[in-house]
Amino acid sequence: MSIASFALRRLGRGVLTVWFAVTVTFLLLRLLPGDPALAVSSPTQTEATRALLLTQYGLDKPLAEQYLLYLGQLLRGNLGTSFTQSVPVLDVLAARIPWTILLTVGALVLTVVIGIPLGVLAASRRGGFLDKAVQVFGVTGQSLFVPSIGVLLLFVVGLKLRWAPIGGAYSDGTYGGQWYLSVLHHLVLPGLSLTLVQLGSYVLTLRATLVDALADDYVVLARANGLSERRILWKHALRNALLPATTLIGLQLGFLVGGAVLTETVFAYPGVGRGIYEAVTQLDFPVLQGAFLMLALTVVVANTLTDLVYGWLDPRVKAS
Amino acid sequence: MSAPLPEAVLGGLPVAAPAAATRPASSSTWRAFRRQPLGMAALVVLALLVLVAVVGPWVLAAPASYGTLVLAAPGAGHLFGTDALGRDVLAEVVYGTRQSVLVAVAASAIAIVVGTLVAVVGAYVPRLDAVVSVVVDLTLSLPVLPLMILVAALAGPSTTTLVLVVAAFSWPEVTRLVRSQALTVVGLAYVDAARLMTRNHAWIIARHVVPAVTPVIVVSVVVTASRAVLSAAGLAFLGLGDPTSWSWGRILYEAQSAGAMVSAWWLTLFPSLAILALVLSATLVSIAYNDARNPRTAGPA
Repeated sequence: MSIASFALRRLGRGVLTVWFAVTVTFLLLRLLPGDPALAVSSPTQTEATRALLLTQYGLDKPLAEQYLLYLGQLLRGNLGTSFTQSVPVLDVLAARIPWTILLTVGALVLTVVIGIPLGVLAASRRGGFLDKAVQVFGVTGQSLFVPSIGVLLLFVVGLKLRWAPIGGAYSDGTYGGQWYLSVLHHLVLPGLSLTLVQLGSYVLTLRATLVDALADDYVVLARANGLSERRILWKHALRNALLPATTLIGLQLGFLVGGAVLTETVFAYPGVGRGIYEAVTQLDFPVLQGAFLMLALTVVVANTLTDLVYGWLDPRVKAS
Repeated sequence: MSAPLPEAVLGGLPVAAPAAATRPASSSTWRAFRRQPLGMAALVVLALLVLVAVVGPWVLAAPASYGTLVLAAPGAGHLFGTDALGRDVLAEVVYGTRQSVLVAVAASAIAIVVGTLVAVVGAYVPRLDAVVSVVVDLTLSLPVLPLMILVAALAGPSTTTLVLVVAAFSWPEVTRLVRSQALTVVGLAYVDAARLMTRNHAWIIARHVVPAVTPVIVVSVVVTASRAVLSAAGLAFLGLGDPTSWSWGRILYEAQSAGAMVSAWWLTLFPSLAILALVLSATLVSIAYNDARNPRTAGPA
């Protein structure tokens, strides 16, 4: 299979996932007991305003027609109108989604950058002190609750050591290069919290596959050929061990985005997650629904990219 | 001290119990398990948490009284300090333990039953399996927590909502774990032999397929339960928990709303430690169980 058709297939899968997300949301909104019109109702709401709201939502039409209308709306980029702010949901979210993407991608990059050396060190000193430490860290990391670790970092690094700002995404009144630096500085704590939660399983997977790979025939052959241990480890074994770890990243993207929602709430980070928190307290359903679709889209795009990276790491995938 | 423990932990989960009885290997697994100090320690912690969940609320008064001592640091009167409304944090954590354990057990029990059923029936009926694997793949690639938030917000916050929502989005993970094992089992000769004996497919699935995938189920009980704890805490932290009963996530949510999450460190520390203790000990138990079942790591039985 050529690279083009491989990419095309992954793209098709991505489109299918987005369609699935859209359909699930549509059905949930209709089938759940919550009435979108009653949800915003105040005791003073009259029957007329309720009927008006129902017509506005198109909820008086048959289900199939509603579904097609909904799909058509989404294709035109119309996510509805926010209950509380009376502006299009897309406008509310468009300002937020870049921050969530920055946070998620930042955490992902940090996970790989810290995870690979840790995994390699642990696997090459199997059974040693460092290996045990990495394993304890890995198992504990998997069990962390994002807000807990967030508040801990906020307390120690932000308030006691004063190394990083404790909330927001940038400093007001900074421009140009200074602004970018302040964005990076504000990313430190939320990024680190999200990384710590994700890192454990990544390192453990990498370590386990690397340990297996180091016992494989091709490693024995490479040793017999007199290649240096370093070269065997980093060049030969690591390349194979990266495959399951990359799959894991793809599988965990959904969890990572969920973690981002919690992290943003702790650090008052202006991303979609923070938007969700505010929308929940105000019961702003169009925003909630739009936010979920945006996050699903983010995950699908990132997943497709991971798949493409996988194809590049492992040429066999493209061939099958 | 040794024998009744696994019953205490798994007893509330209907699937594991009857299937485990048909496995002769389980006693040797238990013997191998007992040799692992870390796994045993985790099991003890897990049993203690369950004990707190069951007995705690009988011993301690509910944290309803609005005391005058607001945001007091941990001390003699209040071991874990008090919150922004002067309620005892220790009582909140203890009552929260019951809620968290309840949600974890109920949600994972539902997820395990549904997930296993879908996986096993899917593996047994090839035509269904294609659909099952696509639905599972698609669901797993969605951001689950935002989806749970959407549903919980729509359905209104209550413990029942929490359990159903967490269960509804946890079963695909169970199906994924169990399905791969079930697919191998269904292809084995003894299942073919059973097919020759009877046309009662439900009997074959219950008698021959489910027992063979039980080890995977036991592991996924633990994984699903600990994920459920984290998901429920996450939802409660965002204000979507049950406002009428205490949970660890709710303590954190109220601390966040009161703006006291950092200044009153005890409001964050104790529920966080409780979450960590439950999830970590569950994870360690599943690791020890896996090692105990693996002949390479279990040693001579």
